[in-house]
Amino acid sequence: MPTEDALRAIVHARVAEVLGVAVEEITDGTHLGEDYGIDSLELLEIGARVEKDLNIRIRVDDLVLAETVGHAVELLGAHLASLAGPSGAPARPRTGG
Amino acid sequence: MSRPRVAITGVGVKTPAGTTVEAALATVLAGRPTAATVAELVGENCPVTFACLVPPFDPTPYADRREQQKMDRAALLALAAASDAVADAGLGPAVGAAPERVTVAVGTGTAGLRTLVDAARSLERDGAPLPAFLVPRIMSNAAAARISMRLGAHGPSLTYSTACASGATAIGEAADRIRAGRMDVAVAGGTDAPVTAEIITSFHRLRALSGRNEAPEAASRPFDGDRDGFVMGEGAAFVVLERLERAEARGARIYGELAGYASNCDAHHIVAPEPAGTHAAACMSAALADAGLGPEQIGHINAHGTGTVLNDRAEAVAVARCFGPKSPPLTASKGVVGHLIGGAGAFEAVIALLCARAGVVPPVANFGGGPDADGLDVVAGEPRRLEPAPVLSNSFGFGGHNACLVLVPGRPGGPR
Repeated sequence: MPTEDALRAIVHARVAEVLGVAVEEITDGTHLGEDYGIDSLELLEIGARVEKDLNIRIRVDDLVLAETVGHAVELLGAHLASLAGPSGAPARPRTGG
Repeated sequence: MSRPRVAITGVGVKTPAGTTVEAALATVLAGRPTAATVAELVGENCPVTFACLVPPFDPTPYADRREQQKMDRAALLALAAASDAVADAGLGPAVGAAPERVTVAVGTGTAGLRTLVDAARSLERDGAPLPAFLVPRIMSNAAAARISMRLGAHGPSLTYSTACASGATAIGEAADRIRAGRMDVAVAGGTDAPVTAEIITSFHRLRALSGRNEAPEAASRPFDGDRDGFVMGEGAAFVVLERLERAEARGARIYGELAGYASNCDAHHIVAPEPAGTHAAACMSAALADAGLGPEQIGHINAHGTGTVLNDRAEAVAVARCFGPKSPPLTASKGVVGHLIGGAGAFEAVIALLCARAGVVPPVANFGGGPDADGLDVVAGEPRRLEPAPVLSNSFGFGGHNACLVLVPGRPGGPR
C-alpha cells in the first residue's frame, strides 16, 4: 500500500494529465468542478489511470464524491486501507486471473 | 423551380503534402513524393516500413492537451482541417447560419482503429485496465461529433464509410442535402490515420501495398508499368459547401461549385474492382450528367489512381468507356501523398478544384509509362497548363464503392 504522500503524488499527476495542465497547478485544494469544469468522462479516466498505477479496482464514488483533489486522496487512502486489512497485507489483485 | 446550387467557399487540409492548402498544392504541383521510412514500422519489423505521414504541426490551436487526449489522430486531423476550412470560408465558429441548417459529413475508412489496436496491444502485453477515453476515441463518428460540437452545428452530423471513397461520398452526400433545400451550409470531408504495424501488415497481406522499402520515394507510381501497390498515408481534408445564393449574398470567395455527384457499387468483389470498369464508368457518366456537362467539357480528371495493378487497370478501362478514345488529361494525387483512405477523395476534390481554377494539371509522380496507361493522357514530368474548366474527381473503394464528383471552378473575376 502506498504512503499517503505517494498516493497524493499519483492522484495529482493523473489529474494534471487528464486536465492537460502542469502537475504544479494541482494542489489538494484544487476543486475539480469549480476550477476545471471536469466532466464525468474525465473523472472515469482519472480513475482508470489511478487503477493502473495501484493495480487495484477503485470505487468511482471516491472520485465523484470528492469536491477537491485532497478529498479524493483521503477517500482513496481510506479505501486502500480497507482493502489492505488490519494486518497491512498487500491489496488483493484487481483481477482473479 | 431549379434546385439550389452548391458553392465551395472554404478548404482546409492536414496531409503529407502539407498542413496548409498552399503548401499541399505546391507539393502536388511539383510532383514531389512524400513517402518515407517510418521508424516505428522498422522497429516493429513490419514487412512494409514506409508511409506518407502528415508533417508535424502544432495541434493546440485546434484542441488543447485536455481535449486531444479524447481524440484519435484521425479525429484530431479532421477537426484541424475542418477548422481551417471554416476559417478559410470567412466564417466564425458559429458559421453564421441557423445552426439546424448546418450539417457535418465525414468520410472515414478506419476511424479510430489505430487507438483500438494500441489498446488491444496494451491489454495483451500487461493486462492493464483500458482507458475510459477509449470509446470516445474509437467511435467511428467521433470526428463528425467533434466538428459539430466545435461549430455548434445542430443539423445532421453524419459519418460515411465507403472505404477509399469515403471522403468523396461525404462531400457528395452533403452537397445533395443542400441541393435538396434541407441545409444551407455543410462542412464535409474525410480523414484517416491508419499507419500502424498491424494495419499496414493487414494491407500487405492483401498484396495491396508497394513493397519498395529501399526506395519509398519511388513506391507510389499510379498507372506506371512498374507499380506494385499503393502507399499507406494519413491525412484529412475538408471543404465548406454553401447554398450558392447565400454565399453570393454574403460576398464570400467562391472557389467553384460542386456541380455533379454520383455514387454506385460494383457489387462484384470485396477488395477488387470489377475489371471491365462498367460501374465505375457509369458512375463517372452519372456525375457528368448530374452536372449537366458532356465528357468534352471536362478539362482534366483527378483519377483514383492508387498504384495497385488492379485499380489502375480497371480505372483506365472505365475512363475509356466514359470518355471514348480521346480522354482529358489525367492526374493522380496519390503519387505524391499516398493513399489517405477516408481523406483521399476529399483531398483530391480540393486539389482538383484548385487546379481546375488555376488552369493547371499536376504531374503524376513516378509515372514513366506503361501498358495500362495506353489510351490515357497521363500528365507526367511537369504540370500542364490548360484553360480553367470543370474537373472530374474519381474515388473507388474496397467493396466496389464508387463516388465521382464534378467540380466547376468559379468564373475569373466572379464573386470573391
